[in-house]
Amino acid sequence: MPAPLAGVRVIEMGQLIAVPWATKMLADMGAQVIRLESCARLESYRTDALFENEVEGEFWNRGGNFYEHNRNKLGITLDLGQPEGLSILRELISIADVFVENFTPRVIKNFGLEYEDLQKIKPDIIMVSSTGYGFTGPWANFGATGPATEGASGLAFMTGYRDGPPVMSEIPYTDYVSSEHTVFAIMAALMHQLGTGQGQFVDISQTQASSATVPEALMDYSANGRIAPRAGNEDSAMSPHGCYPCTGHDHWVVIAVATDAQWKSLCQVLGTEDWLEDERFADGLARWRHRLDLDELLPAVTRAWDSKDLMNRLQSAGVAAGAVMDSSDLLFDPHLLDRKFYEVVSHDPSTGMPPLPYASRPWKLAGTPAVPGEAAPTMGEHNKLILGDLLGRTDEEMANLEDKGIIGYGPTNPRPVSRPSPEEQVRLGRMQRYDEDYRERLNRAYGTEPNPHT
Amino acid sequence: MPPKSSPGALEGIKVLDLTHHIAGPYCTKLLADFGADVVKVERPEGDATRRMPPFFHDETDIEKSLLFLYLNTNKRGVTINLKSRQGREMVKDLAKDVDMVVENFSPRVMPGLGLDYEPLRELNPSLVMVSISNFGQTGPYRDYRATDIVEYAMGGLMYIFGTYAGVPLKHAFHQAQFKAGTDSASAALMAMYHQRSTGQGQHVDVSIQECVASGLRDVIDNYTYTGGVRRRQPNHNGDLTRMRAVSDGYILPNPGITARMNWDVVADFLDAPELNDDKFNTASAQLANAEELGEIMDRRFLEKKKYETFFAAHELRFIYGIVQSPEEVMADQQFQARGYFVDVEHPATGTLKYPGAPFGMDGTPWEVRRPAPTLGEHNRELLGERFGYSDIELSQLRAMEVI
Repeated sequence: MPAPLAGVRVIEMGQLIAVPWATKMLADMGAQVIRLESCARLESYRTDALFENEVEGEFWNRGGNFYEHNRNKLGITLDLGQPEGLSILRELISIADVFVENFTPRVIKNFGLEYEDLQKIKPDIIMVSSTGYGFTGPWANFGATGPATEGASGLAFMTGYRDGPPVMSEIPYTDYVSSEHTVFAIMAALMHQLGTGQGQFVDISQTQASSATVPEALMDYSANGRIAPRAGNEDSAMSPHGCYPCTGHDHWVVIAVATDAQWKSLCQVLGTEDWLEDERFADGLARWRHRLDLDELLPAVTRAWDSKDLMNRLQSAGVAAGAVMDSSDLLFDPHLLDRKFYEVVSHDPSTGMPPLPYASRPWKLAGTPAVPGEAAPTMGEHNKLILGDLLGRTDEEMANLEDKGIIGYGPTNPRPVSRPSPEEQVRLGRMQRYDEDYRERLNRAYGTEPNPHT
Repeated sequence: MPPKSSPGALEGIKVLDLTHHIAGPYCTKLLADFGADVVKVERPEGDATRRMPPFFHDETDIEKSLLFLYLNTNKRGVTINLKSRQGREMVKDLAKDVDMVVENFSPRVMPGLGLDYEPLRELNPSLVMVSISNFGQTGPYRDYRATDIVEYAMGGLMYIFGTYAGVPLKHAFHQAQFKAGTDSASAALMAMYHQRSTGQGQHVDVSIQECVASGLRDVIDNYTYTGGVRRRQPNHNGDLTRMRAVSDGYILPNPGITARMNWDVVADFLDAPELNDDKFNTASAQLANAEELGEIMDRRFLEKKKYETFFAAHELRFIYGIVQSPEEVMADQQFQARGYFVDVEHPATGTLKYPGAPFGMDGTPWEVRRPAPTLGEHNRELLGERFGYSDIELSQLRAMEVI
């Protein structure tokens, strides 16, 4: 059975997360995604989380965040500053279904790549622009990062500890939110194209997509003129509802109690039946009123528990609870292993990297599984396949393009990167710890058989 | 922009919506807002979201939950009791001529009702069915309970969120549910694309935990690449991109590469000549003198105003951001210029402003064609006509708690 998007060709000119995550999802489901990169401006994710912290050699082909967001894509390098580079892009667009980019409108206009330009090359093309604040309007050309759109959307303002300032995510959270909407937007445009033969321009404002997910705050203001105070992990009805410490360093469990029966079960599991007699906690409303008291009482009790034991015990008793999972908890979680959520992908031998597990997708389509995972491209890996085999450039022409610096196989001016040692990372508090046996552990769980440096 | 009422991108897709709460309804809202024909089936007491705050004018009325009103635009609504045999027969019949069924019950419910994919597929061979659940349809946690905070914890987002020394934190409200709704809508259309191309339907299994775990930069790869377990970051006070308080709120500074290339421009921008000093003008100096640098920046930023600074920063192509309150979001000139907030009229609340299109499609625009249904609003139109029930019979069904 072919993958559902087999036959769809996507040209991607994106960076970091907002566009690459979305096209990775399309590529996993069978679309051919051809991703453009610049040799002059090295994508920063190529230099993040380097395998084994190794900074020598072609480090740009060992960046974890790049691999995480670009699986199953074909990668070419192209200098769009040169007319010949731009004309190769136009050739690609002329045989594509979707062109997706995340530059500011100013840059797109300068390239002559606005939708009406593309329509002349490919009348039914779908063009998707993803920008911080949208392709039109007074802020259209404002560059934006994940924190900026999280801040502008209203989400950050509502989030944070009680009586404290807003707290931002430490990953570009709203990049993912907008990227999720970008997958949906592209699919909606593809459905329309399939039905009518028509393409269109899709204008993704990362801020708008994010605001669409905080209606509780925006509608409360719109209807009631109210802005609820920041309230940590509290819920508007449930109590207890929070995150509580467990045995060990930085181990936690979350608990959410919705009903009297769950409250009773919680007290029974924790051995705090005396709370059942406490009139502060007599019913749901009383517990909600005294939620700060509960948040004060619970840690002394939960601290005696292992977080996963407590999660499993509470779940068996019908109480919603979860261990707060760190990266190794996730990778070795029996449930996620059972569902094969992390998928092992092999890397190009030139990278010296063993096969490694990566997050797959949050959906399983029973009839049309995802395509087998191919690693993200090394720089210029598919220049020959795309420019030569697909666009018909001869070897001589390819060599010529390389001479002119229009294509390449590595950064033009690689700036050396440095990495703090693991000890330093732990000392600075950036990492909780390093598992020295992590490759053995991965091998046991995923059969990655690490032995690349021999 | 084409005139309103041009067809939506998903025109012609018929959806039977058995969802409740947030994740499922946001999925079907996305489908409906872009043109799909969605019939929402509620239990006779109504979707639980009808009882969730905030309410219009704080009136706890099942027609006035603002969250419900937002999540159910463009859907027609009927009530059917799936616990009654007659109710289940009605659902089976409705499933015969739709393209898609979407549900987000816990995984044991639909098979228990005889409404899982196999029996429905026998009635409708090209049916796409999307099942959204907390942990997926299989696996050891399949029957575990979850709320948004549990998904944050078990999806890996919570451990890295919050202050270094503090309790792990989650975003306000129900972000995991919205992520799942969006991912489910995408997956639904992937299956629909295949169905329209080949005539084949299929069952789609979406796990909310996996929706959260799918978007975690720096977490999994740091472990698989180096064995490092990333935690909540210390975020020292000298960090140039740390959120800072200004006189009227919070700003998200980001001088980008200028900080490396032209430190004096950064100092000028902050009106902070004291920053023009070897103590601060390189990344390593900034780290070494982080506390002092942070104090100066804290002081200088407090003399500034949010929007003024934001606009001035973009003049210099700094990538500054701002933290906007809901009031500011609704007043912001960019959203206004793009017409983001839209007026929706509903019989229980009158006209209210709702967040509008999450993205623009210039050929097939997002549009509110109808407000969220009142409870059972379309029973007569959809059930009465289809099954030939008279008004008297419909009231008998109501008395028998079938609808």
